[in-house]
Amino acid sequence: MLPRRLRWLTPYLFLLPGGIWLLVFFLVPMLVMASVSLQTGSLGTGFVQSWNFGIYPEAIGNWSTQFIRSIWYALVVTGVTMLIGYPLAYTIAFRGGRFKNILLLLVILPFFTSFIIRTLSWKLILADNGFLLGSLKEIGLLSDSFRLIATPVAVISGITYNFLPFVVLPLYVALEKIDYRLVEAATDLYASRFQAFRRVTLPLSMPGVFAATLLTFIPAVGDFVNAAILGSRDTTMIGNIIQRLFLNNNNYPEAAALSFVLMAAILVLIGIYARVVGAAELTR
Amino acid sequence: MTGSRDEQTQIERAIAHALAQGRISRRRFLRQAGKGGLITASALSLPAILAACGISPTGSGASGPAVSAAPALPSEPAGKLDFANWPAYIDIDDASGDYPTINKFQDETGITVTYTEDVNDNEEFFGKIQPDLAAGNSTGYDLVVLTDWMIERMIRLGYLEQLDKSQIPNFDANAQDLYKNPWYDPANAYSIAWQSGITGIGYDPNLTGRAIATFDDLLDPAFAGRVGLFSEMRDTMSLALLSMGVTPADATIDQVTAAKDKLLEAAQRGQFRNFYGNDYYDELANGNLVATVAWSGDVTQMKLYDNDAVEFVVPDSGGMLWVDNMCIPKKAEHPLDAHLMMNFWYDLANAVPLTEYVGYFSPVKGVAEQVKNDADAARAEDDTETADALEVVAATAFPDDAALANVFTYKQLDEAEEQQWNDLFNEVVAG
Repeated sequence: MLPRRLRWLTPYLFLLPGGIWLLVFFLVPMLVMASVSLQTGSLGTGFVQSWNFGIYPEAIGNWSTQFIRSIWYALVVTGVTMLIGYPLAYTIAFRGGRFKNILLLLVILPFFTSFIIRTLSWKLILADNGFLLGSLKEIGLLSDSFRLIATPVAVISGITYNFLPFVVLPLYVALEKIDYRLVEAATDLYASRFQAFRRVTLPLSMPGVFAATLLTFIPAVGDFVNAAILGSRDTTMIGNIIQRLFLNNNNYPEAAALSFVLMAAILVLIGIYARVVGAAELTR
Repeated sequence: MTGSRDEQTQIERAIAHALAQGRISRRRFLRQAGKGGLITASALSLPAILAACGISPTGSGASGPAVSAAPALPSEPAGKLDFANWPAYIDIDDASGDYPTINKFQDETGITVTYTEDVNDNEEFFGKIQPDLAAGNSTGYDLVVLTDWMIERMIRLGYLEQLDKSQIPNFDANAQDLYKNPWYDPANAYSIAWQSGITGIGYDPNLTGRAIATFDDLLDPAFAGRVGLFSEMRDTMSLALLSMGVTPADATIDQVTAAKDKLLEAAQRGQFRNFYGNDYYDELANGNLVATVAWSGDVTQMKLYDNDAVEFVVPDSGGMLWVDNMCIPKKAEHPLDAHLMMNFWYDLANAVPLTEYVGYFSPVKGVAEQVKNDADAARAEDDTETADALEVVAATAFPDDAALANVFTYKQLDEAEEQQWNDLFNEVVAG
């Protein structure tokens, strides 16, 4: 127990563990990466702090295709997960009844095995001549050269599959909190079920929608596992490039610069999104 | 090409594939696990990056090729050894998951071996241990297996301990001449071979419908979208250079650019399904790829365990001979123990079970003959399965003269050249 005159310290003490964590594992690495991005050299001969700001435009110029592709894929993934996840979360929240907990458990069940094992198993399931496609080709429903693996469809589906729980859970939390009597009140006042949804349920679930889109979009832009396992040369995402530059080429400066550009791009997009959503809230 | 296969075979294949996917032997599991390791390693390398910045760029070790006398070894082994190798690159008891030959070494010497499969990629592993080496610290490894061109770089940077040959008498006595005094390490001052192999082409004749003879066959539009290349820069670029009549070791930057253009043109018209690491193995074994750049020992394993139709060829245009080597990183804590283990593997009795399991070329004299003898012995005891397996290994345990006549070694790239080659190759692998 702190003496009464030191009570004001309490909130700061509570902040301390998280603050130290962020300082050590976020701020310090960020500063180091910023420094690395402005060095030149190689692992063998050593890196020298050269303040080579030219690496930033160079990195963007080299990899703009993969940048745009990553953002595009992440947008598609966010849209699709929302289309699948919202009805799912809605059903669990309002119609789940006593099965709510079981249904939620089923949503997070995939997390009980490793992300990589799950993605690899899709590669086996969707193999060109595997059980699924092989059988469909056998009965003549698909042409012999048809494939899913190594196409954008496989990569986008893989990311969608892996991130769906991140959409369902925050949406569920937001929807579950809604007092269903508000919807009943709306229908009592002659709103159709659709109007009640559009004017009551949807606006009240917006914090969940906002959280869900961020939790999907941000990691999806930087994802490299799905593109590495399910993709091809033509689905290379920016995460794959950063990984390759870091691990295979030991080209730390360009990789660090790309990471910062990626972060900046995400911040700008999220900033715009937050303003649009925030503005929509205000004008309603 | 599918029209030629009758319906019955297709259904059988479909069933076989479906069944095969449930059967994951330890060897296959390791290969998958290795891939997982590659991805998780991105997190592991962060400390390495931090360390790289925290220290002066050029560490004490990197002050030039250190040509010093062999360091004095302790008179007694420490009784411990940390050995880092590649996944699926040692004999494993499939039932227990133990390493029988390593256990034999432990029993004979009393040295406790910590065997890890930490090496997934030469560059990635270099990135992981470089900060310690540059700072003059121990890497925590006493014995590491790395590919020839990486050995050359490690020697150049002064990152390896010199070997005391008096502790490795088996090497002079039993090593094949091909592995003595190699281009990357004159007089084997710092390294001796572990296993070696050839980078060539693996293909399934049932799916290609014809024999594959040269690298340019991989670019045949008939196979569009069903051909694989390596994401590894040296192998892929070197094979492409050979296909243009250029010896990789003498390649100029203009020739490398021309090779890049050739690969890029094919990549842009969708010739390649993807660029692969170890995972090309599954894609070739299950028929997603009809032909791909491949490592000789993998195709041996594939014939034995996954798809006996697959063939390996050294392209007419030329293949690459690579040698993976045991070496001792600078400041290793148990160097004498590492020497004893090097010596151990050059004993025929230990080299044979290793090669019988992994299927690559052994650098030890007499291994191919012994594998053949073991196959005959198994045949005599009516153990057909073992006999068949050993005969496949025996046929590839040492490259024949025809293969050796047409293989080349990597170019020694300096730092600037390496970056140029990487930049050019990155254009090919990322679309």
